[in-house]
This record gives sequence, structure tokens and C-alpha cells, in this order.
Amino acid sequence: MSEHTPQPATNRAPGVCVPWEEKRQEFPKIMGDEAIVKRTWEENDQLAYMFIWHCLLSF
Amino acid sequence: MSDSMEALYQQRLQRYVTALRNGKPDRVPVRPLAAEFVATYAGYTCQEITQDYTKACDAVCKCASDFQWDACVGNMVYVWTALTQAMGMKYYASPGVEISADTAFQYIEPPEHAAHMLPEEYDALIEDPTAFLFNTWFPRVSNDVNAPGEAVTFRHNMALVKGGMSMLQYFGALGQQGARLRAECGTASAIGGMLKAPMDIIADKMRGYIGLTDDLLTIPDKVKAASEALVPHLTHMAVHLSGADPERNVPVAFWMHRGCVPFIKQEHFDAIYWPTLKKVIENIWSHGLQTLFYAEGDWTAHLESFAELPEKSIVFHLDQSDPGETQRILGKKFCITGGVPNALLAYGTEEEVRAKCKELIDLCAQDGGYCMDASAIMQNDSKPENVRAMTDFTIEYGKY
Repeated sequence: MSEHTPQPATNRAPGVCVPWEEKRQEFPKIMGDEAIVKRTWEENDQLAYMFIWHCLLSF
Repeated sequence: MSDSMEALYQQRLQRYVTALRNGKPDRVPVRPLAAEFVATYAGYTCQEITQDYTKACDAVCKCASDFQWDACVGNMVYVWTALTQAMGMKYYASPGVEISADTAFQYIEPPEHAAHMLPEEYDALIEDPTAFLFNTWFPRVSNDVNAPGEAVTFRHNMALVKGGMSMLQYFGALGQQGARLRAECGTASAIGGMLKAPMDIIADKMRGYIGLTDDLLTIPDKVKAASEALVPHLTHMAVHLSGADPERNVPVAFWMHRGCVPFIKQEHFDAIYWPTLKKVIENIWSHGLQTLFYAEGDWTAHLESFAELPEKSIVFHLDQSDPGETQRILGKKFCITGGVPNALLAYGTEEEVRAKCKELIDLCAQDGGYCMDASAIMQNDSKPENVRAMTDFTIEYGKY
């Protein structure tokens, strides 16, 4: 595990794979609007969640 | 889309939704869950429609137009095997590959010693279901995906990329198929998503049926805790990630497999299967989503439990449950669908099919709240003339 990779979260909430709070630690400073980065991170993260749960439930 | 086709769609959607809410529409809706039957009718093999979903979608549209169905599923042969092959999934036998081209795809349940989850792994599932799926379950059900700590191979990388990209492509196509059914056929999409009961998931995809029944005897608390851990995720999938029906007209289907007596004991149904399934249904109903209880097998022993649910929260599908008891116990609160035996559609005569449809309409549809359908998904043994008889008789006799 690299120094930039924090310990993964446990007991993830529904819809979450890598929580924003975990990812946020990799950015020492966000120069612009953090809310945009957070929102789009979470939207993409939810796709990964959807992928694995659909593998279980649908395929 | 022509104005007349849109008007036809709206008329059928209204008919279907009225019945789903246990109301009385202008006539009994016809809503067949047609799977490999569409291949038979449209002249394809099972391999063609399972491996190439565009052919399945074409075949569904041909059936919907020719039979004049009120509602159907855009692709009831839901498992696109090119997708499962892209991910290296072990548990499907694909038509034309592992089995003959004219056989429906099969799920291969692993032997106990090769279950996709070991009994000692319940705690990991309970602690963090999503991580368990990625880190343990997925590598175990895929020939290509490796677990954390194992070598990252080219095939591992390809399985993840191709799986994700293919799934996105497929779901996009299913959305387009719903629009196509509306525009070209005037037919409503019958369901807005698919789920399973928590304990069925553990049996079907993780422990296997034998493994689960062993666990129910030896570690029932673990089975219960794992079922409870799945509840919020199933709720989330239905409520937040089911974009197929944003207006929430149609139900989310629950494929109910082996949670009834005698597959499990009544005490396990009462203590584990039902409380966890009930919680999911209540959760999604609180967000305005109905559940289609696709109750495969005979669930007569559990009808009183289902009657506990809020009025209209479910639609109960008749397979081998007793129709009279189902109507008596559930008919006042919930819509009922189905009940035409698949064996009759495969081996019976048109006259026998019409007689069965009359029996079901007379029993279940007197005050509305009934949709005509087979008992289980119609596969490639259903005879087109019998499906025609079921459809045409209902359109004629089912008028209010």
C-alpha cells in the first residue's frame, strides 16, 4: 500500500465504496470549489457500488 | 412516436397501473413475463437472444406488437451472457457454449466444498457487505478477477474494465428498450427493477442452498445478522439506483426462490426470511415503490404473513400457491398476477388455456386488481398458439 493510500473504510454506507472523507486526505489543499470535487467523486463512486451490487443481484 | 401510439401506451399504462394498485381498470391487463418464449416466436435460438441482447430486444418488441400486450419486460432473458463472460463469471452455463443453443441459460450452484462464501466468512459479510463483495465474493465467482494480495494480471484488469463498461452499455440499452416499447408497440414496461430477498441472496449466490440450510441449523444467528446487513443495501439499490421508472408507476420485482416451507422450516421463515424481506419492502414502499412478489413455488403457508404488509405495497404473483386461498387472504389488499400453469402453456390445448384464464378471472378479477400472466416466466416451451389464446381470451373476456 502506497503512502498516499489511506486505510480503507469499513462498514461502508449504502451507495459508497471509497468515501469522500477517505479520498479527501489525498489532496493537501483543494484550490477551487471542493464541493464540485466531492459531488463528482461520490457520483462516480456510486457507479462502482452499483456495479458490484448488480453483479450480485442481477447477474 | 405517433399520437395514436402514445395514446395507446397511456391507455395501457393506466390499465396496468390501476390493476397494480388493486383498482378496477377497463379490463384485465395482459402482462406476460416472456423470457425465451420471445426467441421461439421471433425465430431465434436461445443462444442468439442470450448472447446478443439486441436480438432479445427485437424479439420482445415483435411479441409485444403482435400479441398486443399491455405490459411486458424489455428483456426478460435478463442475463446477457457476453457480460458475464467478460467478467469471467463461473456460475452460468450459456446457451450454445456450455449447453445446447436451444436451452435457456442455467445457473450452476457450486458444490458445498466450493461455495462462493465459506461459513467462517459471515462476519466479514456482516461487517462490510460492499467490501466483502469486491474483495472476497467477486474474485471467487470469477475466473479472472483476483483477490487483494494476489497477482494483478492482465485478465484481472480486463475483467473489471470490460465488466463495468459492458454493464453500463447494457443498462443504457435497456433504458432505450423501454422507450422503444412505448414508441413502437404502445406497451408499458412491466417492472422498474429487480431484487431478491436477503436470505435468498445468501442461498443463491453465496452459500448455496445446502450450505444455507446447514447454517440455519448450526449458526442461525449469523444467517440472521447477514440478512439484516443486506437490508439497507437492497433498499438503496431499489430506491436510489433504480432509474428505470422515475415516476414509480410499476413495481420492483423480487424473485422469491427458496424461502418457503418446505425449503426451509417455518421457524426460519418467521425468524429470518420474513422479517428481513418485510423490512426491505416496507422501506421501499415508504418511498412510493411497490414490490412484485414473484413467488415462485408454493407460498400458501405464508400468505397470512404477507397480509401484514401495508395495503397495495405488493403485487402477489401466483405460481403454485393456492389461487383460492391467495385471493381470500390477499385479494382485498393487493393486486394478484399470473396463475396460468407453464405446463399448460407448453402441453395443453388452446381450449384448456382459455378455461384456465376464465377460472382465474372469475376468481381473482371480479373487483379489479388482477393481471393475466403465466405462473412463471415463459420459456421456449410455451406454445405460441397457447400464448395467443391466453392473450386474446383475456382481452375479450376480461372487460369490466
